[in-house]
Amino acid sequence: MTELQVQQTDESSPNAEELSSWLEKVIAWGHADSLNTWKDISLHSSRLKDFLQQLLIQINNVSSTAETMKRLPLLGQFLGRLCWNPHVTAEGESRGLLFQCLWALYSEHPSNAVEREANQWIRKVLCQLATEEEDGAALALMKHLGVPSKEYHLKVLKRMVTIMQENIGNNQCSRTQGCSCGSIRAASEACVPLITCPEASPLIGALLQQPVTCFRDGLSENFLDALHSAYSRRVLPLEELAVVSLWYHSLPSLEEAVLRLLESATAAGSTPNKIEEQVTNSLLPEACAQHCSIFLVANDIFRTVLKQAEKNECVKHVFQTFTKCFLRELSHLQPQTSASLKAFFPQSPPSLLLPLLTMPSEMPQEALKDHLMWVSSLIQQLAEEEEEEEEEDSRNIRGHHKVFEAWLLLVQCGHWVQVAAQLLVTSGPEDCAPFLWLLTFYHHPTNRWHHRASQLVQAKAAWDHLCGLFSVAGHPRPADRLQSFISLLSAKPRQPPLAPPLALNLMVNFAVFGQLPLSTSTEMIQKVVDQSGLWDESTRVLGSLRLRLNDRGCVANDRVRLRIEELRNTMTQM
Amino acid sequence: MLNVCLPPSGKTCECGQRHMEAVLRNVASTVELLAVAAHSDVVSEWDEQTAGRAFHWARYCEHIYSRFHSNHVIRGVLEKQLQLTSRGLKEALPEYGAVTLWDLGRCQNLLLLRLLGNPALPVSLLKMLFETRRSAGVTDGDYDDVRGLCGRLVQYKSACKLLRHLPGPPALGADAEVQGEMLMERLESALSRSGDARRAEDLLSSVLQELDGAAPGLCPVIAAALLTTAGSAAQIAAQDFLLDWLQSRHGVLQRVCSGLPSRLLADLAKRHRKFRDAYCRLLKKWASEMEYGISDGEWVHAAADPSVSFQKMTHHFLTLFEACPSLRTETEDELRALKVSDGGFDVRGLSVWGDLLFALSP
Repeated sequence: MTELQVQQTDESSPNAEELSSWLEKVIAWGHADSLNTWKDISLHSSRLKDFLQQLLIQINNVSSTAETMKRLPLLGQFLGRLCWNPHVTAEGESRGLLFQCLWALYSEHPSNAVEREANQWIRKVLCQLATEEEDGAALALMKHLGVPSKEYHLKVLKRMVTIMQENIGNNQCSRTQGCSCGSIRAASEACVPLITCPEASPLIGALLQQPVTCFRDGLSENFLDALHSAYSRRVLPLEELAVVSLWYHSLPSLEEAVLRLLESATAAGSTPNKIEEQVTNSLLPEACAQHCSIFLVANDIFRTVLKQAEKNECVKHVFQTFTKCFLRELSHLQPQTSASLKAFFPQSPPSLLLPLLTMPSEMPQEALKDHLMWVSSLIQQLAEEEEEEEEEDSRNIRGHHKVFEAWLLLVQCGHWVQVAAQLLVTSGPEDCAPFLWLLTFYHHPTNRWHHRASQLVQAKAAWDHLCGLFSVAGHPRPADRLQSFISLLSAKPRQPPLAPPLALNLMVNFAVFGQLPLSTSTEMIQKVVDQSGLWDESTRVLGSLRLRLNDRGCVANDRVRLRIEELRNTMTQM
Repeated sequence: MLNVCLPPSGKTCECGQRHMEAVLRNVASTVELLAVAAHSDVVSEWDEQTAGRAFHWARYCEHIYSRFHSNHVIRGVLEKQLQLTSRGLKEALPEYGAVTLWDLGRCQNLLLLRLLGNPALPVSLLKMLFETRRSAGVTDGDYDDVRGLCGRLVQYKSACKLLRHLPGPPALGADAEVQGEMLMERLESALSRSGDARRAEDLLSSVLQELDGAAPGLCPVIAAALLTTAGSAAQIAAQDFLLDWLQSRHGVLQRVCSGLPSRLLADLAKRHRKFRDAYCRLLKKWASEMEYGISDGEWVHAAADPSVSFQKMTHHFLTLFEACPSLRTETEDELRALKVSDGGFDVRGLSVWGDLLFALSP
């Protein structure tokens, strides 16, 4: 069937020519009832709706129906034929527009024969649509058994849906007997107008979840497009399993879902608890565990967003939560995951996969320190290698690919960074270096103009400060010591600034895990947060700490939990 | 909803009588309402609330119907009331169309039909009736709101039209299945009330008489009705009744067996012994009515309606044997005996039984 080429007028109000071409199309649709016809109707569906919208505007702008009929003499035929096309009347939006056009043509006070006839005709058409029964047997039965029409048609519709659901995929495609497929494509094409109809949603779901057996019998493009459009308008009544299948089939819908999650999770006032809830409820982690391709797409989207917003702590946190939930779902699915990890993380340095993807809760407390030192050294090695390559061959513009991927993986497994911060509270000067390096790398992944060396120095300085501030000995604390720490948090014009979250994160850890009395720690934190304005970051760190300690089960002791709660209460009262 | 105490004997007690009076009054009022809806200009003053109330009363009548249609005492009382009210209305409105008891079961549709046919219905009500629902994910079920009533009807009908056109499994189809189930339900309730066979008999006759004229006719419905799973004793009794009825109506049986595909008939035979026997008898009867056309070299069924070809009849037999293998030897023995009575010759065209045996041999 030919695609409709319509000449638009300047005012974009429909003229008689346009109407006549549409009428031809609609007549053609009424004559044939094949897969090609359905395809053509679906193809033109949104343009038809636009056209009906324009007609509606024009009818409303013209003073009388008689005038409208003079300008567009074929209008009655056009609307009338559309009324008997089930593709148009089954779908909510097109049906609504069609009826609105009819009502707009109705004259409250008809002043001539044309308008009186139009009124009569409109009433007749509507009456027929609502009360006529094509099936004589059905009507006879309904009458004699006293069955209301709505009950009957609803029952038949539900039965049709059930029968089709059960029979989808019964056509086996065999090479020897030839392909009798096409049933899935045909069914999906016929279901395009039914996408937003809740009674048909079991069928839509079954079509989506049908495994693809024959390349010639996939879901129709129109079907997937219509699904995506309904999904983005949030009018799609699908069950959870079916939504996952939709993501699998329709890349735009998947992208939409991931972006929606990012948007809602990074909205103001999102606590780590809420974020985890949102991520879990979004179904995305489950979907990713079931289909590697879905995970790769989601990961890619996160990667792109992070490339443009390295310093965005909120996004990093969402990404980390997302990965954590995903890994949890994956472990539910397959107990043996080490083999397939590479498939899920193809771009990450393979040496880092296992060390970083292991959860801290999966190893004994004493082993954490050595593990992190190992991780830190691995990444340092990677960074140094890449810098050497760059120096050797300055024309090498491959970019810091490996280091970026290592950083991305570290962000996804951000719980290790939290462990590093916690370990720094109890480390001595001899073994603090790898953890400080890790923390600095996390906040400053790129080593532009070789600033990392100076950043490391600043980090060490901050840590020294904190060690002094939170040591049990040394009463009373000189006020200027705290002041100099606070000044570390503010940007300095000459030196490359250390990311404030780094120092703040360290401080919170010291407050929680240190031995100083809670009141003193709380006071210090309050002062710091007050003067540096880093309230958001501090509440986020506390929230994540709490979550992580809950995740680990009962390993964390009550004292620590109590301190966290107290600090949180103080924060919320500020 | 309605507390009518009815002892099994059907006699009403004091409070039952008062309730009954209330019911009759309400039904009478609703019938008058229907007349107003169809013919009166008063409708032009109706608003959404009025319309809502009107449909509420129509729903009430539907409830009354479904609750009492199988109770012949109350049925009689209701019918009398309807006649009374109709007579009164006929005097007032000459063009009045009477409302029967069956109509009560479809009261909402009747009201709708009359309202839509009344030129005085305000456009605002039309718009309200045909409104398209906005929210997704709200399944209809008990959604009895009058707003959007017609919109939903049109949606269901259109959706069915769409799905009907898809090639489906070679079975009866959703329409016949649902119709068959409805028929069985009514039969069941008609029979359960003090085993009133006559009521069920009347029901079947009137329904099937109507169906007879309409395409595709009664065959798919009867077949679907007999194929519904019968779990309870009442359901089994209802199917049994239908089978007996079918056997007694030879014309209907003939049409069922000639109109439906062999596979379906074989399924029916497998399920119901009575049908199997009747079917077998019919096939043999058809065979006995065949005449050999020398010019064509084919056996042809003498009767004009329904006319069955030799191939079709053979196919019926073969499919039947597939479903009920035990039948094969029995039937073959019979055919052999009949062949012998025809002379026992092995020449083609002499005995339909001989040729049939030959065609049926594996």
